[in-house]
Amino acid sequence: MEDILVKLGYCVEFGKVDKNAPYPPDMKGQDGADELTKQAIEQGISAAVILEDALVAAMNRVGQKFTEKKIFIPQMLMSAKAMNAAVAHLKPFFNSGEITRKGKFIIATVKGDLHDIGKNLVKMAIEGAGWEVIDLGVDVPTEKVLETIQANPDAKIGLSALLTTTMGNMQVTVESIKSKYPSNAIIIGGAPVNEEFKTKIGADFYAPDPQSAVSYLNR
Amino acid sequence: MNHKDRFYATINHQVVDRPASWLGLPVPSAEPALLKHFGVNSIENLKLAIDDDIHPIEVPYNFPPSNHIACAFNFAKQTHLDTPDERTLTAPGFFEDYNEVTDIDKFDWPDPTKHLDREESNRRAKATSKNHIRMGIMWSAHFQDACAAFGMEHALMVMLTNPDMFQVVIDRITNFYLKANEIFYESTKGQLDAVLIGNDFGSQTGLMVDPDMIRTMVFPGTKKLIDQAKSYGLSVMHHSCGSIFPIINDLHEIGADIIHPIQALADEMDAPNLKKNFANKIAFCGGVDAQYLLVNGKPNQIINKVHELKELFPTGLIISPSHEAILPDIAPANIEALFKAIKD
Ligand code: B12
Repeated sequence: MEDILVKLGYCVEFGKVDKNAPYPPDMKGQDGADELTKQAIEQGISAAVILEDALVAAMNRVGQKFTEKKIFIPQMLMSAKAMNAAVAHLKPFFNSGEITRKGKFIIATVKGDLHDIGKNLVKMAIEGAGWEVIDLGVDVPTEKVLETIQANPDAKIGLSALLTTTMGNMQVTVESIKSKYPSNAIIIGGAPVNEEFKTKIGADFYAPDPQSAVSYLNR
Repeated sequence: MNHKDRFYATINHQVVDRPASWLGLPVPSAEPALLKHFGVNSIENLKLAIDDDIHPIEVPYNFPPSNHIACAFNFAKQTHLDTPDERTLTAPGFFEDYNEVTDIDKFDWPDPTKHLDREESNRRAKATSKNHIRMGIMWSAHFQDACAAFGMEHALMVMLTNPDMFQVVIDRITNFYLKANEIFYESTKGQLDAVLIGNDFGSQTGLMVDPDMIRTMVFPGTKKLIDQAKSYGLSVMHHSCGSIFPIINDLHEIGADIIHPIQALADEMDAPNLKKNFANKIAFCGGVDAQYLLVNGKPNQIINKVHELKELFPTGLIISPSHEAILPDIAPANIEALFKAIKD
């Protein structure tokens, strides 16, 4: 049993999606995250164990390596793809309530800002950590964030801004959220954003990379 | 020193009366405040007021709606305004649905001879001051276009899963630019001194893609673009935003004369670190932080920063904001201070 979970974790860590996937080249022809998850379920390993011990743990290692600049965006994307292939087999267990998400996370790039590469990576990492992520996209007005919180009252929120010219919009969005929903935690990130700005606008956490957001959420 | 002598002396690490400088390319929404502050009626006159050394020449490319050569390819599946500001790179792209290198011809590749206006190129070059460095704004962003060709996230995975496919696409894009640039260089022969080309490889904290993948898949095309410019006797300024420290040497080795824009707050891109590693070897352009200092600083802080840069780089650095796109949140007084301090 342990062997298959180790193998599955390895596939997620190194981005081996399924048997036919050509990447990584040194795993050509071997089973990938897709097949191994199916086999693990067939062997009777519980969905919770598959999710936490193999998949989430692997994504954690991926996030760590990304922070340490040992891997880059392409490798992180491949891991997220392998993770998704595995999670697809866990859908019935989520639906039946046997396993649950850790919570909901709403993510958006703020009004006026079209940068979304970073936001998308954060989304993958947080999904990979076992959360349900609601992605509102780019150039997102404050009202849309507020409506989404209203519909998902326990959600935590992540906002991205890559431009000095949109940091003001981030501030407006954060202040509006805090005045209506003071207890919903807000994480901010993006190139010009920092700890000092977080404090100034009253957000709860500044994350320089996806992994630190995951650690904050898991606290 | 005249503008040209100053530019060449700066990039050749020779003694200068003052370092060469470049305003950059203010975005349209930043222009009104700048013109008002300097009491001028055009960016051209503003440049004469601040007395910088480089005058840009944009490539005339007739392809609506943007009429911008950076938007020559209609890769994005979803419709968007298609101006350089609206290009998202991540929108799903045409090649997302193709896996075979033979599919390359399924795309309707643009022919630059149909869109690049030769007479207008020549007219623009002629209209640009001969006394300054006339720099063609080529961009020729073959990597970014290759990202857009698939949709960026898909493209970055294709680099790993199907490198041959990525390669044919980026090569075809490179060939487009080689052809387009040849038309521009021929039409402006003898009236151009330098070119700006480049791609964004960096985020705030590091490269977006491993340096080895950039070296094997992207730089061969970059080298062709650089070699071509050099065959016309042009100096090459290579642009990449973000933290690109590990590939600066590579860019130098494939022939880039100047690395731009030196995003001062990005990891390892601060002036002291660049001086420590590349002094007297590689020339830079940029370095005046546009993510915090120019936006939030007061003129005296800008002046101090410029003095500090001049001390670190008495030559070898063309002083300029750390992003050519000057945004409307930079106070015009800070731009004035920046260019005044260069002359102190
Ligand atoms: C790629 C890029 C673009 C692409 C964006 C493509 C896309 N779909 O995202 C394009 C070419 C479209 C673009 C356009 C522009 N850009 Co731009 N761009 C960049 C660049 C080079 C990299 C950004 C990136 O994707 N990095 C990779 C990702 C993975 O990193 P990241 O976004 O920082 O995210 C990480 C962390 O910050 C964090 N994070 C980010 N968000 C969040 C959110 C949460 C909740 C959490 C937890 C964490 C988190 O986690 C991520 C993963 O580690 C930066 C340079 C830089 N220093 O960042 C300039 C940069 C951001 N751009 C800049 C500019 C000026 C522009 C334009 C105005 C230029 C122009 N005139 O065309 C336009 C603006 C368009 C708009 N309205 O938004 C400037 C901004 C300067 C300033 N004053 O703020 C920068 C800094 C470049 C520079 N030299 O100064 N850009």
